[in-house]
Amino acid sequence: MPDAGDAPTLLPGFLRLDPFEVGVAPAAGTKQEEPIMPTWQLHLLRGRPGSSPRLESYRVELPAEAYLIDAVEKIWAEQDRSLLFRHACHHASCGACGVRVNGRERLMCITPLREFNPERPIRVEPLRHFPWLGDLLVDVAPMMRRMAAVGLVLVRRDELTADRPLPEGVEQGTRFEDCIECGLCLSACPVMAADDAYLGPAALAAIERMLAEPRGGDPVRLRTLADDPHGVWRCHSAMECTAVCPSHVDPASAIGRLRRHLIREKLRRWMGGNP
Amino acid sequence: MTGEPRWKRASGWADLRGRREGGLAFLLMRLTGIGLVAYLFLHLYTLRLLAQGPEAWDAFIAVAKSPPFLALDGILILGLLYHALNGVRVTLLGLGIGVPHQARLFWGVLALTLLLTGAAVYAIFSITG
Amino acid sequence: MMAHAHVVVIGAGSTGAATAHDLALRGFRVTVVERGEIASGTSGRNHCLLHSGGRYAMRDPESARECIEENMILRRIMPEALELNDGLFVALDEADLALKERFLEACEECGIPAREIPVKQALAMEPHLNPNIRAAVQVPDGVFEPFRFCLAFLATAKHNGATILTYTEVVDFVFQGRTVAGVRVWDRRRGEERVIGADLVVNAAGPWAGKIAAMAGVDVPVIPTAGVMISIGRRWTRMVINRLHMPGDGDIIVPQRRTAIIGTTSWRVEDPDFIPIPEDHVRLLLDCAERLVPGYTQGGIRGIFAVARPLVGRRGVALDGRELSRTFECFDHAVDGVEGFITITGGKMTTARAMAEKAADVVCAKLGREIPCRTRETPLRSYRDFFD
Repeated sequence: MPDAGDAPTLLPGFLRLDPFEVGVAPAAGTKQEEPIMPTWQLHLLRGRPGSSPRLESYRVELPAEAYLIDAVEKIWAEQDRSLLFRHACHHASCGACGVRVNGRERLMCITPLREFNPERPIRVEPLRHFPWLGDLLVDVAPMMRRMAAVGLVLVRRDELTADRPLPEGVEQGTRFEDCIECGLCLSACPVMAADDAYLGPAALAAIERMLAEPRGGDPVRLRTLADDPHGVWRCHSAMECTAVCPSHVDPASAIGRLRRHLIREKLRRWMGGNP
Repeated sequence: MTGEPRWKRASGWADLRGRREGGLAFLLMRLTGIGLVAYLFLHLYTLRLLAQGPEAWDAFIAVAKSPPFLALDGILILGLLYHALNGVRVTLLGLGIGVPHQARLFWGVLALTLLLTGAAVYAIFSITG
Repeated sequence: MMAHAHVVVIGAGSTGAATAHDLALRGFRVTVVERGEIASGTSGRNHCLLHSGGRYAMRDPESARECIEENMILRRIMPEALELNDGLFVALDEADLALKERFLEACEECGIPAREIPVKQALAMEPHLNPNIRAAVQVPDGVFEPFRFCLAFLATAKHNGATILTYTEVVDFVFQGRTVAGVRVWDRRRGEERVIGADLVVNAAGPWAGKIAAMAGVDVPVIPTAGVMISIGRRWTRMVINRLHMPGDGDIIVPQRRTAIIGTTSWRVEDPDFIPIPEDHVRLLLDCAERLVPGYTQGGIRGIFAVARPLVGRRGVALDGRELSRTFECFDHAVDGVEGFITITGGKMTTARAMAEKAADVVCAKLGREIPCRTRETPLRSYRDFFD
């Protein structure tokens, strides 16, 4: 390991870090003061389409402050390179690492190991209601196509900081929509199991957002999309979507609002308003 | 369909693994719904006895008042009450009302169902002796 | 023969994605091979900052100029995928304050529209900022999402004919004499190996670029340099908050959706495949964050993550000996005696498009074609089009 005093040679100009900034692995990693590293047992679902999947057992040492994604990544890096799993951002913005943990839909990157007891195995399986590609990997195209059909615009008005004066030159405070298209809601929804054509909580919540804040969306097209036997009326309020959503979308409430909206529209038209 | 094994099949709605109050409420709603439809057909079928004269009907009523039959009535009331009360819950939730309280509402529905069923069963057995 | 030359790009992070897009736009047949999910390497665990370049204005003006230029280009080509609320550089103490004039001058020289604003106004705009800040400078920082950033480039490339193969890992190179003729890949889903032929291979594997290059018998000395970031469960600020000082640890908080991400630190690691997170780095970052936004940690820690960035210990040169770039590294391995193979690495996500332009220029030169780059003006498709 290089000394903290060694100046790195010929680093690209854009970085130009001082020597102290590119240092050694920090002192906490030295042998004398190893942090407590429990051994976790993970049961990961393994297999490929066409063969029966099975749970395989792994053990991995990590601090309790680490996350489930770290455990799975460490298992892949050090024990089994054939393990298939999705991940990208590790901070719950990409929505890629959705799985079922002990049966429940979670994002691996924000599921701390601390939640679990090292004595009991953690079961990790892929999401439900998506085509299974092997191990923990599913094909999320069915969800992305639904979201594309809705056309949810990624950027929305930022209501969280709306009470503050805007910086000069910024017309409106904006932020990304809450929905990270992780698919946890689609996996948790019992209706998705039985109906291939159901739009699903994420897409319906997206329609509600596009009607609430149009951003170039076509309200007539969106209402038609929602007002369908396989649209908003297919929901039976099982509420599991809102229970598992890691990103404050609350699809159940959005679907409720969407229904009220459609009912109001129908009544309005029925009473002679413009279509 | 080797690409789509266990994660997407019609009975998937009955899979309670990983599901909580809302999922359980949904499952019970479907089961009681199916039960009530079955009961409806059974009831209509039984009513044909009315067209077969007083002896046929009285004979049926004698059976209908027997304790085992009344117990089945108790189960019917259980299912009916659950379906009706949860139906109110689902109607509200489906319109976006009370969503943050959905789990609590479910326990409330269960409690009320059991309470009212208990009262009904007590009443039935009191009346019929 | 070169009517539709086939280029294989190794890596689907920001570098590979932008390069695939540029090459596809120039009419090449492109195949991207990526051993995991899109952006599952360095790019995914990015800090999400659309750089104004302010951080480099004083130390590396060339980098700063490139940043602000690319910042403006990205605003044009991916407008609906950016949080654009600008950013602030804030002076926390006298030492920071002393740099302010130099900072403003440096920004002006680099073409970065930096504007000093009264502290009172800064605190009105950002009430959770440390109330004792001495100065505030507004810059055009922005925020992107790394996964969808890469997807947008790849979606466009795909619709221009590129093939993107995920879960496909390069295990070896195929040679014809001293020329790379293709790559041998392991299809991780089907569990079988096969060869993909290529007229040229572009190594865009980030911190693994050294490992990939070694398979071709070439030395690219990549130093995987890890950094920790922490995502907190509350969006304390609307704007990006930078500390006005020389580049150091934990000097930037990037908000996104309902979170705020503090970063970063820096230390060398041996193996970028898995990076254990040092506890004292976490404590350091939280301390730094508390200095910028007191009470930051009260938002609750949502996630802690680390990834290795590729630092390269040698400059890439063209056959005529000139440096290919100063802000990232591009190696034409013909210099090392291997034809048909180049490496592009280093840089930052904000400048991915510029890196790709350079790489594609080198590809064109090597394949004897002269095709202009059009990525500056070509708007990218929606990232969802990747899944069509």
